[in-house]
Amino acid sequence: MESGCAWPASQLPFSTERWQLRSKVIGNNWRLFFILIAILLRPGASAQSAGQSNPEQGRILSLENAWNQALQQKDAAALRMLLAPDLVYVDYDGTLMDKTEYLASVQAASLHPVHLVSESMKVHLYGGVAMVEGVCREIGIKNGRPYSVRLRFTDAWIRRGESWICVASQSTLIEP
Amino acid sequence: MRRRFPSIKRSLGGRIASLLVIFVGTALLFVSAQSTGSAAVTSVLALEHAWNQAEERKDAKALDAIFDNALVYIDDDGSIRSKSEFLSHVRAPGSLPELEVTESMTAHQFGTTVVVAGVYVLKGTEHGKAYLRRGRFIDTWILEDGKWLCVASQSTPILH
Repeated sequence: MESGCAWPASQLPFSTERWQLRSKVIGNNWRLFFILIAILLRPGASAQSAGQSNPEQGRILSLENAWNQALQQKDAAALRMLLAPDLVYVDYDGTLMDKTEYLASVQAASLHPVHLVSESMKVHLYGGVAMVEGVCREIGIKNGRPYSVRLRFTDAWIRRGESWICVASQSTLIEP
Repeated sequence: MRRRFPSIKRSLGGRIASLLVIFVGTALLFVSAQSTGSAAVTSVLALEHAWNQAEERKDAKALDAIFDNALVYIDDDGSIRSKSEFLSHVRAPGSLPELEVTESMTAHQFGTTVVVAGVYVLKGTEHGKAYLRRGRFIDTWILEDGKWLCVASQSTPILH
């Protein structure tokens, strides 16, 4: 996605070459392994889970963090595990996507998200349904140009057996 | 703040447009419900309609009944409101948009959860400046004690 923030490539706070090399070195199997570890993490292991008393809340926050990691690594296989087949996704430019379209957008060659971090997240539990609200900062390169965005998002998760899957996600741009 | 059905019109053309919008909106509501064929979806789409009407009437009591107490409401500028903040905002006297309409609305059921996605258009004047905004929203509803409650609502401007 394009953004209002345009940095000269030489002043980026990260090395794109290093990132691309790292992405090549870490194989698909390892990525899946890291995602599974994130899913199994207990709530105390996540910084965002501090203050969340219910273990399920911590579990969902771990899934949110796994999502961010998978996005950074452009790991569609990991994302596929987190998202419901009927996912409803609204990007911060208002584009509506289904799961297939979203996964395709994540894998686009022109997009290189380098740093995704959730500044704050809160989980609201309703039995087998969870709503996550939060703010996320994303930095990367798209079409050869650096971008930086700050977003407020909501994600709706539903329980499926022992785990959770995301059924809806929406982001809205906020001031940087 | 958004409503998703037509509001106040000030001209004959506006009134005609209003009638057309009501007709199209009703048809969309019917088509959306038909396309999924679920009683839950029909109920939730009816509540979406009730939400719009309640907001037009500034009926905070009616809105109070369809929102969960922990409602998360995110407006199209990214600002976040709790249920009480949203209801206060509804009650507050302010400028009304000239036109508010939903172009499309579809519902997806996941057991006792229904996700409604749609597109809205707002036209009006604020602080002397005319605006025309088009955005997309998702409302999430859950079934609690036999009653559908909205737990989250978010809007995002369409930038393309």
